[in-house]
Amino acid sequence: MRMLSDPCATGTCTAAPASLTCIPLGIPASAMTAHSFALPVIVFTTFWGLIGIAGPWFVPKGPNRGVIITMLVATAVCCYLFWLIAILAQLNPLFGPQLKNETIWYVRFLWE
Amino acid sequence: MGSMFRGEEVALVQLFLPTAAAYTCVSQLGELGLVEFRDLNASVSAFQRRFVVDVRRCEELEKTFTFLQEEVRRAGLALPPPEGRLPAPPPRDLLRIQEETDRLALELRDVRGNQQELRAQLYQLQLHEAVLGQSHGPPLAAAHTDGPSSERSPLLPPPGGPHQDLKVNFVAGAVEPHKAAALERLLWRACRGFLIASFQEMEQQLQDPVTGEPTRWMTFLISYWGEQIGQKIRKITACFHCHVFPFLEQEGARQGALQQLQQQSQELQEVLGETERFLSQVLGRVQQLLPAGQLQIRKMKAVYLALNQCSVSSTHKCLIAEVWCAVRDLPTLQQVLQASSSEVGVSAVAHRIPCQDMPPTLIRTNRFTASFQGIVDAYGVGRYQEVNPAPYTIITFPFLFAVMFGDVGHGLLMFLFALAMVLAENQPAMKAMQNEIWQTFFGGRYLLLLMGLFSVYTGFIYNECFSRATTIFPSGWSVAAMANQSGWSDAYLAQHPVLDLDPNVSGVFLGPYPFGIDPVWSLATNHLRFLNSFKMKMSVILGVVHMAFGVVLGVFNHMHFGQSHRLLLETLPELVFLLGLFGYLVFLVVYKWLCFTAVDSATAPSILIHFINMFLFSRSPTNRPLYSGQEVVQYVLVVLALATVPVLLLGTPLYLLRQQRRRQRRPAGGQNEDKAKLIDSPDASESDWGPDEEKAGCSEDDKDAELVPSEIFMHQAIHTIEFCLGCISNTASYLRLWALSLAHAQLSEVLWAMVMRVALNSDLAVGVQAVLLVPIFAAFAVMTVAILLVMEGLSAFLHALRLHWVEFQNKFYSGNGYKLSPFTFAVEDE
Repeated sequence: MRMLSDPCATGTCTAAPASLTCIPLGIPASAMTAHSFALPVIVFTTFWGLIGIAGPWFVPKGPNRGVIITMLVATAVCCYLFWLIAILAQLNPLFGPQLKNETIWYVRFLWE
Repeated sequence: MGSMFRGEEVALVQLFLPTAAAYTCVSQLGELGLVEFRDLNASVSAFQRRFVVDVRRCEELEKTFTFLQEEVRRAGLALPPPEGRLPAPPPRDLLRIQEETDRLALELRDVRGNQQELRAQLYQLQLHEAVLGQSHGPPLAAAHTDGPSSERSPLLPPPGGPHQDLKVNFVAGAVEPHKAAALERLLWRACRGFLIASFQEMEQQLQDPVTGEPTRWMTFLISYWGEQIGQKIRKITACFHCHVFPFLEQEGARQGALQQLQQQSQELQEVLGETERFLSQVLGRVQQLLPAGQLQIRKMKAVYLALNQCSVSSTHKCLIAEVWCAVRDLPTLQQVLQASSSEVGVSAVAHRIPCQDMPPTLIRTNRFTASFQGIVDAYGVGRYQEVNPAPYTIITFPFLFAVMFGDVGHGLLMFLFALAMVLAENQPAMKAMQNEIWQTFFGGRYLLLLMGLFSVYTGFIYNECFSRATTIFPSGWSVAAMANQSGWSDAYLAQHPVLDLDPNVSGVFLGPYPFGIDPVWSLATNHLRFLNSFKMKMSVILGVVHMAFGVVLGVFNHMHFGQSHRLLLETLPELVFLLGLFGYLVFLVVYKWLCFTAVDSATAPSILIHFINMFLFSRSPTNRPLYSGQEVVQYVLVVLALATVPVLLLGTPLYLLRQQRRRQRRPAGGQNEDKAKLIDSPDASESDWGPDEEKAGCSEDDKDAELVPSEIFMHQAIHTIEFCLGCISNTASYLRLWALSLAHAQLSEVLWAMVMRVALNSDLAVGVQAVLLVPIFAAFAVMTVAILLVMEGLSAFLHALRLHWVEFQNKFYSGNGYKLSPFTFAVEDE
């Protein structure tokens, strides 16, 4: 995953990045197993958006309509927020996993 | 929208019930369960109320019922449940029911008494038979010898007395087995040498008529000579409560007596049989009468107790009752009253009256929402018409539980268990189970269903299924790339037991895992370092969002109660304080996630240090800023937050005092109009009830009650301190989400590593390993259920509940109302 316009790529400057241009835009790397960031965001935002924003329009009229709409919106908000936190926390890792040498031997060839 | 968002509107209704129809009306109201009676005779003691005589009669009947019920139970029969609709009987039926019941009770007592007597007699006869029937060898044999012989001469010469009666006499009887040894000893000590006693245990056990226990009596035969010895013996046996029977010397006479006894006992048994048949007949009648009678009398007593709460009108023509009734149910109430009092001619009337007291809260729930409303009400029933947290709790409670419990496997087990209960909920077997713990789980089946479902979701995000990670998508970390670029040969690896993957090396980090935590972390030895940071930040974010939502809900309360000044003077400062400080913390967290990469990892700023320095207005030179202008922004935010404190502290009290001063200056003319408008237009037929209307309603406090300044300021000061300090402590309190999910993950991991892995890693032949796997899996399963599902489940449940009750609800919920408990005949089953 490469940064787009990061003036501190060399890691020598001590000033903070000037603006939020640091958000990477999901350009796929050349390796086969690269993960984009934009695709999951779009997929999950659409998914929970359908449930939380579009869903309430389709709830049939009845005494429980209000409660069902509340449930849909609350579910969408909670689950989307939770997923978003998980993916944002892993977006720019500051350190990597520390593996035992046995694990490295095994995984090196397993996860090609 | 549904009525779960706030309680329903409840009105105080005054009922005028004509005396003749009062009983029927109240009984109909009880069947429907619409209204709650207010006690108008609270100052009157229970003994002085109008219907106390009727209540007493009902209670006496209930006592008789209890006696009958006890008799039925003693006979081992069961009472069938009452069938059909049984309304409260009219008062004139009470006499009939009372007569029937008393007759039955009398008969039952008589028959029981007879039965006891007959049993006792039979018992005695059987004892006598046994005593006569037993053969006691030596004394009898000795009796056959005529006269005293030299062998039987006493060791001591008998004291010279006028009359030596050396004729052998007998005392025969039965004694309880545990007293037999003592009796024998005492006899020997007292009458040494002058008697021969023989004890023998009876062959058959006799059932004691009083206690019903089978006992085996000891029969004894004492042969003695001398009148004084005889008296001593009789006294001793009387002391020991022995049954003594006449013992005839002659064998033939004894046989004759035995035959007679046998005949008598046979006759007695026949009579006893007849008696018992009659008893079961009576019990059968009781079984028929009792269930319906009990129900009817219970309803009647309830109606009289409700009538006791009504006051009598000055003309004595009707009873006045004050009830709380939901506004939605008012038409039904009118209908019921009309129907019940139609035959009397004068109709019962209901009309709303104004009231200053706080009405009870009514929230209608169905079987799904009832459990969630239950956990909210367990903390406190909401004030009249304040916002109800229950509809949001339906989702947020299982969600916060799941954050602490997240594991796909455990969540799935919980979900399936709850699903089984939900699908089978209508089967009668489920409701019949009396076990309290089962009832608790069954009552919360929908709660468990949602908790399990959300736990599966959070389990996928945490990437834990029985503590094992799954690679649904390929991992975002490439070990091969790291190994190739860093020259990790086999020799190198052999020398270094652990090695780090460096995200700075190209090709190692390929992007964030699209759904959840990357599976590589479950293989890493430093996984806690990453997970702790992730979970702590997640807890703070979720906490701030939850609390901000709570403050926003308070807006609805202020608007509904017409206190819009509180929006500006309380909600706004609260939001500024909360979001300015802790919302800013969330911003810092997200900013660091987005903008600081592995390239800056050596010099990455610490959010914690920045946050602390923000409050202390200081700086740490080694901690670089996250963005330019950070110091200014932080300074502004802290000043703003501090500025909201006096607004929060003084805003509302000053506003209220100013309002009060303005109102006092206005002439006091406009007050009476308000009261008149609140009363609905009464019917024409009500003109007779005029003077009573004015006495009705609650205590007429002035609407502009004197606001005591010191109280308002104190109240507001407490609220301010609670909010501001609470912001900090409550945010930290949400860290329990991190703590419990860590504990669950670690317990899960330990169970796997110490139990299952032992079986899977053992170097045995495949067949042996398979056999070994069975008991080890059993242990794993039992411990998973007991420790991880039950214990951790209860723990996470408790903490999620606490987060809702304290951290969320104290932002907007007062919870000091009371529930509408309608007058109803339905017995609470749950």
